[in-house]
Amino acid sequence: MKKIIFAIAAAVTLVVSMNSCSVDGLDKDPNRPTQVTPDLVLNGICFSINQRPWGGDARTCQYNLCNYNYYGNNEYNWGGASWSFTTLKNVIKMEEEAKRVGNPDVNPYSALGKFFRAYLYYQMTMLTGDLPMSEALKTDNFLPKYDSQKEVFKQVLAWLEEANAEMTELSNQGKMAFNGDIYFNNNLMAWQKLNNTFTLRVLMSLSNKESDADLNVKGKFAAIVSNPAKYPMYNSNSDNMQFVYNSTLNKYPVSPDNYGFDALRYNMSSTNLYALTYLKDPRVFIIAEPSGAKLKAGSGYTDFASFVGADANQDLADMSTRMQVSNGGDFLNGEYSLYNRYRWYRNFVAEPCIQVGYSEMCFNIAEAAHRGWISESASDWYTKGIKASMQFYGINNGPVDVYAFKNGGSPTNSSDYIKNTYNFDEAAYFNQNNVKYAGTGNLGLQQIITQKYLSFFQNSGLEGYFNYRRTGFPTFSANGPGTGNSGKIPLRYQYPTSERTNNQASWKAAVDAQFGGQDDINAVMWILK
Amino acid sequence: MAVASNSAYAQVTTTDSDTANVGEVVVTALGIKKDKKKLGFAVSEIKGESLVKARETNVLDNMVGKVAGLTIGQSAELLGNSQVVLRGSDIRRGQSVLYVVDGIPINSDAYNLSPDDIDKVTVLMGPAAAALYGYRGQNGAIVITTKKGTKGGVSVDFNSSTMIENGFLTIPKVQDEYGPGDHGNYSFVDGLGGGNNDGDYDVWGPKLNGQLLAQYDSPIDPVTGKPIPTPFVARGKNNLERFLQPGILNTNNFSIASSTDKVDIRFSFSNLNQRGIVPNTGLSSNTFNISNTVRFSDRFRMNATVNYNRQATDNINDVVYGPNSLIYSLVIWQGADWDVMSDDIRGIWQPGKEGVQSIHSEYKRYQNPWFVAYKWLRGHYKNDLYGYTSFDYDITKDLNLMVRTSATTYDVLRTEKMPFSAHPYGREENRGDYREDRRAMFEMNNEFLFNYTKKRGELDIHASLGGNRRDFNYTSSWTTTDYLNVPEVYNFANSANPVRSFNFNSSMAVNSLYALADIGYKYIFVNLGARMDQLSTMPSDNNSFVYPSASLSFLPTELFTKLKSKTLNFWKFRASFAQVKGGLTTPLVSQAGSTLGYGSNYSSPYDGPAYVNAGIYNTPLSYNGKPSANYTNVLPNASLAPFERVDFEFGTEVRMFKNRLSVDATYYVYNDGPGIFSRTVSEATGYTNQVVNGIETQRKGWEVSFKGDVIKARKEGAFAWNSMLNLSRYREFLTAVYGDVNEISANYFVSDNSSNRFLKVGDRIDALYTNGFARDKEGKLINDAGGRPIVLPKGQFQGYTLPDLVIGFYNQFTYKNFTVGLQFDGRIGGLVVNQIQRQTFRGGRHIETVQDNLTDANGNSMANAREADTRGEKTWLGEGVQVASGSIKYDPITGEITNYDELTFKSNETQTYLQDYVSRYYGQFESNIMKKDYMKLRELTITYNIPASLMGKTFKGASISLVGRNLIYFAKGLNDLDLDQFPGMTGYSALQSPTMRRYGVNINLTF
Repeated sequence: MKKIIFAIAAAVTLVVSMNSCSVDGLDKDPNRPTQVTPDLVLNGICFSINQRPWGGDARTCQYNLCNYNYYGNNEYNWGGASWSFTTLKNVIKMEEEAKRVGNPDVNPYSALGKFFRAYLYYQMTMLTGDLPMSEALKTDNFLPKYDSQKEVFKQVLAWLEEANAEMTELSNQGKMAFNGDIYFNNNLMAWQKLNNTFTLRVLMSLSNKESDADLNVKGKFAAIVSNPAKYPMYNSNSDNMQFVYNSTLNKYPVSPDNYGFDALRYNMSSTNLYALTYLKDPRVFIIAEPSGAKLKAGSGYTDFASFVGADANQDLADMSTRMQVSNGGDFLNGEYSLYNRYRWYRNFVAEPCIQVGYSEMCFNIAEAAHRGWISESASDWYTKGIKASMQFYGINNGPVDVYAFKNGGSPTNSSDYIKNTYNFDEAAYFNQNNVKYAGTGNLGLQQIITQKYLSFFQNSGLEGYFNYRRTGFPTFSANGPGTGNSGKIPLRYQYPTSERTNNQASWKAAVDAQFGGQDDINAVMWILK
Repeated sequence: MAVASNSAYAQVTTTDSDTANVGEVVVTALGIKKDKKKLGFAVSEIKGESLVKARETNVLDNMVGKVAGLTIGQSAELLGNSQVVLRGSDIRRGQSVLYVVDGIPINSDAYNLSPDDIDKVTVLMGPAAAALYGYRGQNGAIVITTKKGTKGGVSVDFNSSTMIENGFLTIPKVQDEYGPGDHGNYSFVDGLGGGNNDGDYDVWGPKLNGQLLAQYDSPIDPVTGKPIPTPFVARGKNNLERFLQPGILNTNNFSIASSTDKVDIRFSFSNLNQRGIVPNTGLSSNTFNISNTVRFSDRFRMNATVNYNRQATDNINDVVYGPNSLIYSLVIWQGADWDVMSDDIRGIWQPGKEGVQSIHSEYKRYQNPWFVAYKWLRGHYKNDLYGYTSFDYDITKDLNLMVRTSATTYDVLRTEKMPFSAHPYGREENRGDYREDRRAMFEMNNEFLFNYTKKRGELDIHASLGGNRRDFNYTSSWTTTDYLNVPEVYNFANSANPVRSFNFNSSMAVNSLYALADIGYKYIFVNLGARMDQLSTMPSDNNSFVYPSASLSFLPTELFTKLKSKTLNFWKFRASFAQVKGGLTTPLVSQAGSTLGYGSNYSSPYDGPAYVNAGIYNTPLSYNGKPSANYTNVLPNASLAPFERVDFEFGTEVRMFKNRLSVDATYYVYNDGPGIFSRTVSEATGYTNQVVNGIETQRKGWEVSFKGDVIKARKEGAFAWNSMLNLSRYREFLTAVYGDVNEISANYFVSDNSSNRFLKVGDRIDALYTNGFARDKEGKLINDAGGRPIVLPKGQFQGYTLPDLVIGFYNQFTYKNFTVGLQFDGRIGGLVVNQIQRQTFRGGRHIETVQDNLTDANGNSMANAREADTRGEKTWLGEGVQVASGSIKYDPITGEITNYDELTFKSNETQTYLQDYVSRYYGQFESNIMKKDYMKLRELTITYNIPASLMGKTFKGASISLVGRNLIYFAKGLNDLDLDQFPGMTGYSALQSPTMRRYGVNINLTF
């Protein structure tokens, strides 16, 4: 009996002693941090704000078109926009972490934070219109009201002004050190140039509001352009904010990886190629391939007539069968030009994707001059803008190598390309009536915006579309079965679907105030009025 | 040990004696055995013998159809997890059933349980039965009682089955008349897109008419270096059927048991070998089970059991949609223009490029099935162990103390060897990879339980007080190369780019105290219980909570004995109530780190912390492999309360006609919630979600089980027929969401539903919302200017996914030494989107595209239109209308057309290509919805018990059985999809391996 009691006691003791009874602290996730240094957050922000080339944005801007219905179509049946508030939350977290590790109130992260706010609010308001702003980004207000688009732009411009002032202050103090940058190698002065160059983009997007006294668009534009000491700006392509791709971890989205999926399924659009060939612009040789059908018909490899884009509005069934047309063994199939394989699919070496570029700045200044906001020469800046874009493609006065893919070749094999040379006479190019700046009339504006559109190919997200929306240039293809939306190019995205469910009263008030109660993609937002 | 009883079902067998029945003992929560008549809730039992003849790899799959309310969607894949739905608690919804062995909870997927060790399975249907296991038991429990040493000297048992899987129940039906391509165009150059639709193609190419075309194996002209065209013929008819092989399932069990006054002991070894239907796939599983009972004295006993299981396979098939999947290549996207059994394809590698470049008819997206089967290997190696020791001591005659410690642990290694030239989604460089997924789970439960039993006359009192400490620990890592340097060397040191490695570790602990009391008097039995849990996963302010349960059993035939007659033998009413609380745990766990962009995502049993309510940074590598940090988009909530579920259950049991017929019926209501869910919030807050208490649903259902001796044996050995019919159904409704929010996205409950439509409070949660077509007021399709149907901008309500009725029908016939078991089961009602149909249509592979069954508005058949496509002629005139004037406006919420009064219509007059029409029409889920109605002849066993007179002295018993499973499949349509796999609310199918008949022989010997 004693043995038994001893055995039981031992068993109980053993069981009890194997465990503590505490459960404390086990609700915490041991796998992930609750605090980090601000540079890690900055790195994440830089990565998230990157606007990737190609993809849906390029179709919206009618640079390329999808001819394969399994992958998609070219219809403008838009739904909700994608907002960037979660990135803005990281901006706030970055600022908090910067303070936590001992930075003063004004520090490189705080200055960058103001730029990011301006940059992302601009993107979002361009997509949808009014936005939650004064009540947004608070964890105690789940139903933030919307501020008007005008208030958003005022605040965006104020942030950009403050960011510039803080960067100047930090520069004067010599306190410019930070980490985590993926665009300018932690150079705050480069960000300052971007900040002011981007300000010009914002101001130009308000061209319909140039007489609005609150915004003082003209005055602000002039103040920046006339005072490069206070507002340093880009001086060349080397100042560009651009996302640089490489061949291993960050591959360009158009590369040998996706050759077999996409090379034949996304053809060029007439909106882009028509403008290039009409202007006899050698950039067409770099970005596109001649159409097999044109070559078969006798057109040459360096004839502009060989480069044909498809009209976006045509029936997708037709576009896809036109891309299937056989042109015999010597020529590529199809009637339309494709992305130039030599540039895009030969290897993983890729162009960077310009987020905010020097050529755009030049065209913005040219347009401001055209509109009489400033007294600079519209023609000079227009020409600088074109040259900057040409430079991006490596085109200089003189011979330009033109590569066309051999039918049946392998895209990664350099010998499977037919090389021709086009002699680019720069002066002759600029002397064409269609290129030479036509002065202050509408044609001059059309020239500036069209050239700007051409420079946005594979670059700068939706800016090509935003500028079209603002000015009507270049004419987008619509009104056919291919583009949907009852023949119209829409003017905005709907608010994200989640706003209707999660923030209904505020959303409804905003939609009522702006669009008569309909969250409609064809409705006209304030900046376009 | 005696030969397995002829009767598979304890409750099917009835005897003349009332008492024998009513005194039936069942095992309930905590392993406490109870007189079944005293139970205020439903339980069902399955005898172990019924699980060991017509075998399955996982014993769970043997339970299908045998318990009303237990639905099992059997996976067709090796080591696949079957979808268990118990009274609507569905593992796909994170509602997992608890497995309990001899009273201890184990963390298991049931693959480690050998049916030969199972004495019986008790299914505790609802939380009323399982509340005492806390939140882990809220969805019911499968309680397994293992075999123990039995009295009567030494007993040796040998049980062996060999079954062959052969003959297709379901397999996609494809056309073999047209080859790959687009609008009738195809020719091969490099298979990478360099030719005419020779890479990543559809099967909308030219007819396989023998015309000369450049193909993958066309000889190369030595002068031009170009392929010399060869006849384009259907050399690959029935490629899939010819590629698959008969599967084999072989199981053997040996056990030895003995019993003396002091000691019961049993040792068992089970071995399972399976050959998959895909070549070079299989599974081996070995289980050792030892159990001991030692009676140290009259008052002091010890039980100890250890179960060790090892699963090992060097390769299992991965059928998940993508280039890794056999079905993807052989069925959907590739045609009959190449022969899977040809020597070159079977040779796997291109000559001279062994180890580097596989040979195939296409090189961009699709893969040679032999290459996938023999070179792209997915290994699974799992050690799984559970064991317990319990001490029982009778302190007094009435008071007993049990102290028990138990552990359940597994470690698993999953490997993937991806050779050069494999190119699943996202790995386009064709340079191979090696991955290891390692997981180790350890869980320990230490508990004590005081039991007090007192009988005073007719008054029965039983009280228990117990406590449990659960400690849980999990570690896992996932490591992968980033391409390989040297082919076929699967080692991390061989990684071309830096190795990527992730880990995920977790711990949790639960302290529990519980008390229960049973009071019984002749005809009425009351049970009351309470449980307190302290749960480490919850915020510390809110981590302790208490919840009650109660049940009642009432026997009118005992109170009013006059009620008893020859017709009515027994009548019982029962009612029960239980509440359960818990939170922030998840039943299954996936690999550590980010998931791959392809293939199946292995889930293993977990029941540990989910860490969803944590204010943390995610720190992925972003630009050029540099670290970055993003704060969570899910706002944590420090004041989160545990979820709640409150259940009511009412039932009755009647036995009639000398117990020849018994009917057991249950009606239950589960009030679920407020639960814990991640509500969506305005993105303008900076967050997409917030963890809150919300979402309430009400589930109502019933189960009825009829059991009867249809024909009773008049004497020993005469013909007898026992029958059992199980029926069940349930419905679930949304009763609240969160605060004044009263709707939730339609894809919350049925994943893959349109997210832009919303369920409202009061709606059934199993509604199917998919994209659908615009129609005029008469319901005719409205076509666009290109002659293809217009798709509405928002999802449309299409019906419901839950079946109306789940049926299991078992019959057992005995005559002399023969026993025949026959089971049909199936489901009626409910909808599912048939993805096999959808994708085979889109890919141009569906057999209807070459037949005359489907016609356009002119009566033109698909076969004709398809042929016209290849000639470049648009001949397909879609049914319906086109807009003649006006432009369609859509309701911003429902997506329905709002302005019919502004629209006029004309008959569709635009002909288009069949390919473009089919791509649009069958690309939409609406066109691929099918009813889930099916029945299966699930099980047929014919057993001959060898009479004792024929056996020598060596054998105590012997039987031989012919066994079959899944022999006939009854469903409408083409049988391209096995509907068995979509129980519960599952509304969207995925790819699946073809399902097969399985049949063979079982031998059972007892020495």
